[in-house]
Amino acid sequence: MLLSLGLVGCGTDDSGDTASTSSPATTSSSSSSAASSGDVAALAEAFAATLADDQLEALNQDYTFANASNWSNFPNALLTGGSGGFGGGGSGAPGGALPSGALPSGGAPGGGGAGSTSSTGRVGLQTDSLTDAQWTALEDLLRAVTGSAANEGFDEIMQHLSADDYLADNGGGDDYGRGNYFIAFLGEPSDSGTWELQFGGHHLAVANTYVDGVLGGATPSFRGIEPLTTVTEDGVTVQPEQQEQAAFQALLASLSSDQLATAQLSQTFGDILLGPGNDWAFPTTSEGVAGSELTDDQKALLLAAIDTYVDDVDDADAATILAGYESELDDTYVSFSGNSSVSEVGDYVRIDGPSVWIEFSLQNGIVLQGAHPHAVWRDKKTDYAGLTS
Amino acid sequence: MTATPVRTPRRLRRGTRAGEIARRALGAVLLALVGVVLTAAPASAHVVPSSVLQLDIRADVVDGDLLLPAADLATASGLTLVDADGAGAALDTANADAVADYLTDHIAVTSDAGAWTVDVGDVTATTTEQYGTGTFPAVTADLVLTPPAGADVHAFDLDYDAVVHQVITADVYVILRSDDTGATDPADLPASLGAVAVDTVTGTIPTLHVDLTGNSPTSTTAGFLGMLSLGISHIAEGTDHQLFLLTLLLPAPLLASAGRWRGTVPGRRAVRRITTTTAAFTVGHSVTLALGALGLPVPGQAVEAAIAVSILVAAAHAVRPVFPGREPLVAGLFGLVHGLAFAGTLTELDLSGGDLVRSLFGFNIGIELMQLAVVALVLPPLVVLARTPFYGRLRVGAAVLTGIAAGGWLLDRLGVATPLAGAADRLGPVSPWLAGMLWVLALGTVLHRGTPRSHVAFLGWRAGRVDGLVVPVDPGASAGRR
Repeated sequence: MLLSLGLVGCGTDDSGDTASTSSPATTSSSSSSAASSGDVAALAEAFAATLADDQLEALNQDYTFANASNWSNFPNALLTGGSGGFGGGGSGAPGGALPSGALPSGGAPGGGGAGSTSSTGRVGLQTDSLTDAQWTALEDLLRAVTGSAANEGFDEIMQHLSADDYLADNGGGDDYGRGNYFIAFLGEPSDSGTWELQFGGHHLAVANTYVDGVLGGATPSFRGIEPLTTVTEDGVTVQPEQQEQAAFQALLASLSSDQLATAQLSQTFGDILLGPGNDWAFPTTSEGVAGSELTDDQKALLLAAIDTYVDDVDDADAATILAGYESELDDTYVSFSGNSSVSEVGDYVRIDGPSVWIEFSLQNGIVLQGAHPHAVWRDKKTDYAGLTS
Repeated sequence: MTATPVRTPRRLRRGTRAGEIARRALGAVLLALVGVVLTAAPASAHVVPSSVLQLDIRADVVDGDLLLPAADLATASGLTLVDADGAGAALDTANADAVADYLTDHIAVTSDAGAWTVDVGDVTATTTEQYGTGTFPAVTADLVLTPPAGADVHAFDLDYDAVVHQVITADVYVILRSDDTGATDPADLPASLGAVAVDTVTGTIPTLHVDLTGNSPTSTTAGFLGMLSLGISHIAEGTDHQLFLLTLLLPAPLLASAGRWRGTVPGRRAVRRITTTTAAFTVGHSVTLALGALGLPVPGQAVEAAIAVSILVAAAHAVRPVFPGREPLVAGLFGLVHGLAFAGTLTELDLSGGDLVRSLFGFNIGIELMQLAVVALVLPPLVVLARTPFYGRLRVGAAVLTGIAAGGWLLDRLGVATPLAGAADRLGPVSPWLAGMLWVLALGTVLHRGTPRSHVAFLGWRAGRVDGLVVPVDPGASAGRR
């Protein structure tokens, strides 16, 4: 797969020179099995070794809750209000002109957490500066921390990048495309201590936190997609979230009318509830139909739906995490709003267990016509590997 | 390798509201645009729109300007407000009334004094745009929130759950747009009062507490002080008002003779001229400020142009006596013009009743205080310098520069753009330095002369005991009084 297709800038001369001297990472890209934890730190270092000084400065960020929680589903340009089409009338009014008191912290007691996702955009190194060799090293790293199944994990992320290229080519403009993603190391990649590998951009947030060389948290993990329907971009078939939608459809379709009635929420959802910035805010009361009320077949469908998110993590860790969720299945609730067909704008599905939290929301198209989903997988215990502030 | 929960959360933050707010990074941007400028966003971005409630604090009530996304409102109210394509539907009277009833049911305001009445009116269908949303159909409504008779409007609890009770992911930004009572520094407006959104932990919608009483002892005092400071800043920043008075006072220590300024008048006489001229200006602008604020129409552009003319006249008079001995009359007449400009400032605040009287009073006192400060700062060195050989050049130089600035303003206000007006506007921040230079010059003169009489003259002027001590500097000057 030619991942540099559609790249805008190709970095500085410096970075090019540096990249040409890096070899181990670029030759080890064939592995499809889960990496050992040591591999992750090593691959992270190998990627970093391809970068120029200014790129490294952007890549390496502090391991803080402010940085960790600074992810978003929006295109970065929409967050910064800066370049491209999102800035508005050219008066320079957005963002910079915002009175400092404008974030409603005054009205929210204890609102100290606000502001980390304000209009500064994502932290980290923007992918538009990467050379081909640097992209390859980044993919080696991403491949090691993600799942190997088709349309999940690494494949899913690559399709996400292609989907954003598709948006750029079909009305979205320069604010979309694979050059608008960000890779950040929060803390120093190491087999001792804690650091987070953060990769994200429009409709995508990967947040793997490693503690003493072990995956301590793989969430919050955001996956949205537009277009949801299959398209082809530069020879790549783009359909990264259809498997998820199909899993929810199968799960709800399996429910009896009584179960559906129990599962249906009375309220309306324009989006997911626990999106970016809304951390550690899980409802105290779970709603919907409990896993203990489900047949074995239905439980299998529930677990399969969960798996479409857990499988985004490297295969070995995914198996461990899924086993944990399976053991809690009886206390895991399924609920929905809108149609149980999970096909129309306003349709919403939630899986809410003692640990797992997954939401899937269909909403209006942004660049294109038709519904597109936002989805988040969170873990009530290991979001950000437990970092809360 | 395993996924180990290394740490359980140290503390499950209840802080949903903080998170809720932070989640909407765009909301911050939205706030920057609402009430400031609703910038057109690109067609390619359609973020979910928010409800916006903009509040105007009046003397006895709080007015609200509410905007709701029509699709969300339709979902929550069950009313037909959008058609099948999601486009906004026209509102007939029945539907408008139904929306008003729905909003009345979902908005409650209380304070220590008890429950407020909530009146919803002027329900209208429209289309609008917020940052990143693209155009969307919306419904607007005017709210009047009235506390129990006589109760304070500055602190209340807003129990608002319109739309949010049903569309659980919706949010409402509450913004303070204006405050007639002066409890809020106008420079801080528009200000965010917070957001209404579902607390995801409890599933409830928290009350929004609004408290604008701040550090002020009472709102009335705060309002008065607010207007006082507005008056002060109006003069401090209004270079043209300062220049008119100062230029008019420039020849106050001098004696007019045969169409020229020659010699000086005794210090006490200079002080009296300065006092009467300043007082006449005050009376003049107080009269029209009151009339204008009470409703006399103010022809803004003509007034601004006339102010520039007044400065030109004062500048001419500072070069050669045009109306010697009639400075108070001229100051009073042109004061009428300047007062109309002050009135324009107050009119923009849209005050009424007790508010207006209080504001008028505070604003005027602020103007007088600042004016006195400027006069007290600039005139003493001028009186001293008037007795030096170079005062003539200083006076004429200052008058010519002022005249050029006034000419620039006049042209600008008549619609002829010149770089002069902008340059003159920027004089404001420089003026303290000019005043400082005058003081240095004056002190230097006093020390340089080093004669006891001059010291006495300088010090005595301040004490008002210098009559007869002044020596005419200009050799050709007549010593006679006018």
